[in-house]
Amino acid sequence: MLLECRNINFRYPGNEALLFQELSLVIDTPGFHALFGPSGVGKSSLAKIISGQLTAEQGAVRYHNDGRVLYGYNLERLPGWSSVGRHLERVTPAHHRSLKEALIEAFGLAEVMDRHFSRLSLGQQNRINLLRYLVQDFNALIMDESLANVDEKTREQILLTIKEMFPDALFLYISHNVVEVAAFCRQILVLRGLHKMPRVVTVQGQDRMKGREIDRQGLQQTMLEIMNAA
Amino acid sequence: MLLRRIYQFMMIYGLGVLCLLALKMVADLSDYVIPGLDTLWHTFREVAWRYTLDVWDTLRVAMIGQVLSIGLALLVGIVGRQATWFGSFIKVAAYNVQAYPIVAIAPIIFILLGDGFLSRLLIAAMICYFPLLLSVVGIMSQPIPDIEHFYRQTGRMRWQLEVKIRAFENLSKLTTVIVGSATLAMAGTIVAEFIAAGAGIGYSIRIALYQSDLAKILVALFMIGITLSVYQGVLERAGHWVKQVWSG
Repeated sequence: MLLECRNINFRYPGNEALLFQELSLVIDTPGFHALFGPSGVGKSSLAKIISGQLTAEQGAVRYHNDGRVLYGYNLERLPGWSSVGRHLERVTPAHHRSLKEALIEAFGLAEVMDRHFSRLSLGQQNRINLLRYLVQDFNALIMDESLANVDEKTREQILLTIKEMFPDALFLYISHNVVEVAAFCRQILVLRGLHKMPRVVTVQGQDRMKGREIDRQGLQQTMLEIMNAA
Repeated sequence: MLLRRIYQFMMIYGLGVLCLLALKMVADLSDYVIPGLDTLWHTFREVAWRYTLDVWDTLRVAMIGQVLSIGLALLVGIVGRQATWFGSFIKVAAYNVQAYPIVAIAPIIFILLGDGFLSRLLIAAMICYFPLLLSVVGIMSQPIPDIEHFYRQTGRMRWQLEVKIRAFENLSKLTTVIVGSATLAMAGTIVAEFIAAGAGIGYSIRIALYQSDLAKILVALFMIGITLSVYQGVLERAGHWVKQVWSG
C-alpha cells in the first residue's frame, strides 16, 4: 500500500449532504495514476483531502512512510514582480538545479524564462506552474488539470517525460480527457456520482511509456471500462 | 492624469461660481452677499499670494499627517491581517472608531496641546488614519489563493512574502486609497485650522467668514482645489510609477 484513503466522510461547512460517505481507495504502486469523473463529483475535494488541505470529518488518509504529498492546479499564478526564470531559481532547491534545467528543456520553456508570468500563454503558464512543483522534494504530486490549456502533442511529450524522469514518485492526474487517462495512466480511479456504490472504481490503464507503442484495442477497451464505471 | 484632475476641478469650480452668479441674478442679491466677477478677480489679485502660502502651509501639515497615517495603517494592518484575536480586535476597533466623527474630538486636542502645529497634525492624521486602516486591513486580510497556494504547499510562506503578494496584487487599490486619504488629510487640517489654529488656509477662511467676505472664501477654495488636484495627481502618478517599476 502506497496511498490509502479509508472510510472518508466529508461535507463542506454549511452543507447538510455529505460529499463523501465511507469513501475508500488504495493505490499500491508508484507511477502515473488518474482520478477521473464527471464535473462536480468531488475530484478536487478528494485531492485536497489527500494533500491535507481539507480535513475529513471521519476516516483517514495514509501515505507510505508519511511521504510528502503536493497538490497543484491549473489556475495558479506566479507573483508578477519577477520573471518566471528568477522565480524558478528562487523556489528550486539547490540539489534540483540540473533537474530544473532538464525540465525547462523538455517542456519547451527555455525561451520564456525572462518573461513575466502574466505575459505567457495559458499553456505556457500551465507548464511553468507544473514545472515548479516537479522541482520540489515530493513523494506524491496531485496534478489537478495541470495541463488543461496545453496542446495535445506537447501534453503527450510532457506526460512521457514526467513518467520517465520520476519513476519512483506517485502522480495522481485529474483530467476530463478519457483518451489521455486511458493511454497514459496505470490505475484510473473513477469517482462516481453520490448515489452510486462503490464511489470509487479502479480501472487498469495502458500506462504508455516512452518508446513503447500503445495497443489500440486495449486502449479502446480501457476507455469503455472507464465510461461504464463513470 | 495630473492635467485631467486639474481641468476637472476647474470645470466644477467654474460651474459652482456660475451657479452662485445665477442665484445672485435670480434673487437680485447685492455684491455684499455674492460678489460679482470683477470683485472676485480683484480679491484674487489681492490675496492670491498670501493664500498660496497658507495653502502650502496646510498641505505641508496634511502631507506629514498622511504619511504618518499611512505608515501606522500599514503597520497595524499587517499585524491585524491575521485571523487571530488581535486581528479581530483591530478590525472591530477600526470599524467602530471609524464610525465616530473624529473631528468632534478636535476641541479636546486643542485644549490639551494648544493651537499650534502639533494639534493640526494630530487631527489631520486621525481623520485620514481610520479609513486608511480599514482599507489596509481589508486588503491585507484577503488571501490571493492562486498565488499563495504554492508557497503554502511547499512550506515557503513567510509573513513578509504574504504581505508582499497581497500588496502587489492590490497596488491599484492601495494607490486609490492613498489618493483618497489625501483629501481626508487636507480636510482634517483645514477643519483643525478652522476651529482653533492660528495658521493655514483654514485659519484664513475663518477670518474671511468673520468678515462675511465670500470673495476671499471663493479664492481660498480655488487655491485648495488646485493644490489638492496637483497633489492627488502626483500621488496617482507615483502609484503608477511604483507599479511599473515593481512589475518590471
